[in-house]
Amino acid sequence: MREDIEKLRQEFLQGVKEVKDTLKLDDLYQRFFSRKSGELNQILKNLKDLGDEARKEVGQLANQVKTELEEIYSAKKQELSQGEWSEQIEAEQVDITEPSLPPKDSGHLHPNTIVQKELEDLFTSMGFMVLDGPELESDHYNFEALNIGRHDPARDTQDTFYIKNHPDWVMRTQTSPVQVRAMEKYGAPLRAVVPGRCFRNEATDAAHEHTFYQLEGVVVDKDISIAHLVAVMKTLLKGVLKRDVEVRLRPGHFQFVEPGFELDIKCLVCGGTGCGACKHSGWIETLPCGLIHPKVIEAGGLDPKVWTGFAFGLGLTRLVMQKYGIEDIRHLQNGDLRFLKQF
Amino acid sequence: MLVSFNWLKQYVKLTDAVTPEEVASKLTMSTVEVEGVKHPASTLDGIVVGKILSVDKHPDADKLKVCKVSIGSETLSVVCGGSNLAENMFVAMGKIGARVRWHGEGDLIELKPAKIRGVESQGMICQSTEIGLGEKFPLHDEREIIDLKDLVSVKNVGKPLAEVLGLNDAVLDIDNKSMTHRPDLWGHYGLAREVAALYKKDLKPYEVPEIKVGKELKIKVNVEDQSLCPRYMAVAVVGVKVGPSPAWLQNFLQSVGVRPINNIVDITNYIMYDIGQPMHAFDGQFLTGNKEKELDIIVRRAKDGEDFITLDGTKHKLDHSMLVIGNAEKGIALAGVMGGLNSGVKEGTETVVFESANFDPIIIRKAALNLGLRTDSSARFEKSLDPNLTKIALKKAVALTLEFCPGARVVSNVPDVKSFGLNQGPIELSWSFLFKKIGLEVDKKEVVSILTRLGFEVKEKKDLLAVKVPTWRATKDISIPEDIVEEVARVYGYGNIRTTMPLFPIDPPETNELRELGHRLRNVLVKELAYSEVYNYSFVSADQIKTLGGEVEKYIEMDNPLSKEKPYLRRTLINNLLENIRKNIENFSTVRIFEVGQTFLLNESGPRVKATSDELLPRQDTWLTSVVAMKKSQNLFSVAKQVVEVVAQEFKTEFVYRKPEVLKPWQHSTRSASIYYADELVGAIYEVHPAVLARLGIEGRVAAVDLVLNRLVELGAVRNEAKYQTVPVYPEVVRDFAFVIPKQITHEEIKKVILSSYPLVKQVELFDSYSGDKIASDKKSLAYHILYGSNDHTLTAEEITSAHEKVINNLVSQLGAEVRK
Repeated sequence: MREDIEKLRQEFLQGVKEVKDTLKLDDLYQRFFSRKSGELNQILKNLKDLGDEARKEVGQLANQVKTELEEIYSAKKQELSQGEWSEQIEAEQVDITEPSLPPKDSGHLHPNTIVQKELEDLFTSMGFMVLDGPELESDHYNFEALNIGRHDPARDTQDTFYIKNHPDWVMRTQTSPVQVRAMEKYGAPLRAVVPGRCFRNEATDAAHEHTFYQLEGVVVDKDISIAHLVAVMKTLLKGVLKRDVEVRLRPGHFQFVEPGFELDIKCLVCGGTGCGACKHSGWIETLPCGLIHPKVIEAGGLDPKVWTGFAFGLGLTRLVMQKYGIEDIRHLQNGDLRFLKQF
Repeated sequence: MLVSFNWLKQYVKLTDAVTPEEVASKLTMSTVEVEGVKHPASTLDGIVVGKILSVDKHPDADKLKVCKVSIGSETLSVVCGGSNLAENMFVAMGKIGARVRWHGEGDLIELKPAKIRGVESQGMICQSTEIGLGEKFPLHDEREIIDLKDLVSVKNVGKPLAEVLGLNDAVLDIDNKSMTHRPDLWGHYGLAREVAALYKKDLKPYEVPEIKVGKELKIKVNVEDQSLCPRYMAVAVVGVKVGPSPAWLQNFLQSVGVRPINNIVDITNYIMYDIGQPMHAFDGQFLTGNKEKELDIIVRRAKDGEDFITLDGTKHKLDHSMLVIGNAEKGIALAGVMGGLNSGVKEGTETVVFESANFDPIIIRKAALNLGLRTDSSARFEKSLDPNLTKIALKKAVALTLEFCPGARVVSNVPDVKSFGLNQGPIELSWSFLFKKIGLEVDKKEVVSILTRLGFEVKEKKDLLAVKVPTWRATKDISIPEDIVEEVARVYGYGNIRTTMPLFPIDPPETNELRELGHRLRNVLVKELAYSEVYNYSFVSADQIKTLGGEVEKYIEMDNPLSKEKPYLRRTLINNLLENIRKNIENFSTVRIFEVGQTFLLNESGPRVKATSDELLPRQDTWLTSVVAMKKSQNLFSVAKQVVEVVAQEFKTEFVYRKPEVLKPWQHSTRSASIYYADELVGAIYEVHPAVLARLGIEGRVAAVDLVLNRLVELGAVRNEAKYQTVPVYPEVVRDFAFVIPKQITHEEIKKVILSSYPLVKQVELFDSYSGDKIASDKKSLAYHILYGSNDHTLTAEEITSAHEKVINNLVSQLGAEVRK
């Protein structure tokens, strides 16, 4: 009987080796192990003819073999069923380098919007309101209220578009008029920024535009000092440039501030040793600023003996160009999608 | 303005260790912006004064000579092709190692010992253009070498050329824009005063001798309006020999970019660059008097239409707003701007009349602007000059004339017609005001020292400072305590102020709803519908307006547009967006773009021109306009409409569409809708009229959406929130059906009928719309999903069927629908 079992084992192993699909494997299993007609059971039917000792021995052996073969069977079964899926898997292969189809068109924000929004968020987080003003402004707000009289030579530096038949209307040359409008509307204390479009009547080339964007900032409060102004400017530049910057203040003259400053930052390219980007000076002229002139505070309807403040102007267009390395300012307003789709 | 470092150093003693660059940087940090420092002599290293001892023929070349040139310590043998070589001539000798530009072209090349046609040459006798002195010594023929005759003597032989010619100077280039407020800095003396204050050095007093008046000639000055000419002085000098100025003066003028003319003109220019006071010199014969030995000078307004030719040869028509110098009939100078062509001083002039005057800044500025004639003179007068300079300048002019022309003498009186007052303060401010403004307590002694160095007189009274303003700062520049703060802080050094953050309350700022709306719309269009944002100019052309069928008269026009073609301010964003489409459609088959921007409506009311005035600026709405263009598309209107739909989703709201009451001429009349929010007109959707597209040369279709953002904000559209409803408890059932219906029946009408048919109808959704070959041309086929449901029970099959039948029956009976099976 032992021999029978061993023979059966061999046959089963041989069968498993030759079997190619799960159906045949199941048939094979049934042939050997079926409860009713399985060959192993057929053999075991003869157990009763053996003596106690032998019966026990052979029974054990049969169980051993059965366990072994069943394990082999399930391993083989798993192997075969895997194989059956693989055909489908193989047939379903994709080219992972193909882009997803159909192509999805994408939209793009204008680079100026991207930078402006970042700044608006930054200032909002610092407690500043974000304000707007008319682009066609009165001479009063654009000049007079900012302490720039009708014949002030300072008007020379701001080539102005005037409106036909309305000598007192101008295309605003700066966002500063909103300083006064804001003081009138909100009073003091006041913290606001005004990003917006400005106009200067100057010929256009790669570096100059008649239409450009500024961001004006204004703070009105009590006892505002130069020391405050520099501290706020440093914080804001840190927020804009996302790193600590070294700044310096030097005199700059603007009618609506007294004293007025030009604020330079240490060149971020060379770190101050001098390079092409900073014209070898180590510093980049970044923003004009100053303590608000008492006449401007007064024009805003506030008492300059009580209220003080500072204002600053950031060249938004220039910042955009620096950020993305845009070489020609005219790209920004020619509506060419080949340019716009890069942002 | 160009500033000569040597000129400055005449007035303030700086140690040799102080470089021009350092002074430039100090001025930039405390006074005015110096844009650069140039060293004109840097190319003259190794070039010395030489004296030609002999000129011999070159053994092997006809055009070359072999010269012996003394440079003091040694004698060099030099081969040279100069056309004007002569014995005893003083020349510019380039030694071995000097750098020259061969024949004035190309890069600088270092001189090396060389054999020229077999003869050794130990350097080069230079042409002016070879060493960058072409302007100073213009070439008369192409082989001419520099002849230093009159400029040097034997004692200069061997000395560096730059030093001998006074070219070892440095020139500071100051940004004029940075000193429009400082009339005192428009001359070297004023800058020297500033440098002296910054370096704590003494400033050399500006001393000029009094004029010894003459009695032979009487100058009578009549200033018609003294408010326009607060001071006028003049003097006549005879015996002047008009000729070249001395070298030192020519050098100074050249170093600041002024071309020497003759000694008299040069004197006036020198004084202008020295102390900032423009002057003028007339030939006395062009002034007449009522009597013998009398010269009358009238300062008057020009007559309207008065002809005048300025010394640059330009003819001008003057008017009443300008000031002239002359007699009643004829002007000889445009006051403060430029002299006349014929009355100037030239060779042969016998009587020179110097004018030194102070004019009203505004009238000078206006005249210069109106005539397009900005001069060094007008640029200074318009800054409000100190009238005290007038006298100093005149005295200096006479002194220099007498020095340059030993035979000259003053023959006239010195009229001084003046009427001016200066507000020298004193300006009073408290120490605490000063320190609060700076944000730092500066040492009081230091404050007083700074102000005193700058020419202020300071008196301390208890807690107050009384600061008297020097005349040269008192015309306009310094008038309020804040000005004093600046003076102290800038000289103290802005870099020395420790920064401190101000204390602000942590109030959240008020939201700008218009901005918020703009940003949210941009994001939706970009992210959901793949629109790209463009920025266009605010200006449009008459052509653009007319192409769209608009009327130019309705547009605001600029007085001085940059481009004559685009003088109008946009009323809508569409004009320039269509230009964008035209250009981009060449590169892309579909173009989706939008812009957010202000428009300008003439005759509609906008913001006030001034808080206290009723006058209003034009209305300036903020629009969003999106445009989509496709070469192949049948119904672009519905593509454009997606914009409004995603906007409605974003803002959790619904818009209502109506046939427009008024069509814009560029709108397609059967494919246009007005958009309403809260029953107010807020925008439009439309296809662009095919005729307009044809005129623009755009193939395919274009559709646009306008939204007036400030209207939406006013109507509260930004503030909507999602309205939550409980999730349905009982199952809902969707039934689809399609029908054919006359074309003119709108979806809105159908929806209304369906919704009102049966209370169980919860939602109606159109999912297909067709019109074309397969159905009658006046019909369209529509397909709808209808959602049935109830809030209190599960619908039975019978209920649904009966509801659906009711819907269909209503459509058939009320709207003439034919159900498709």
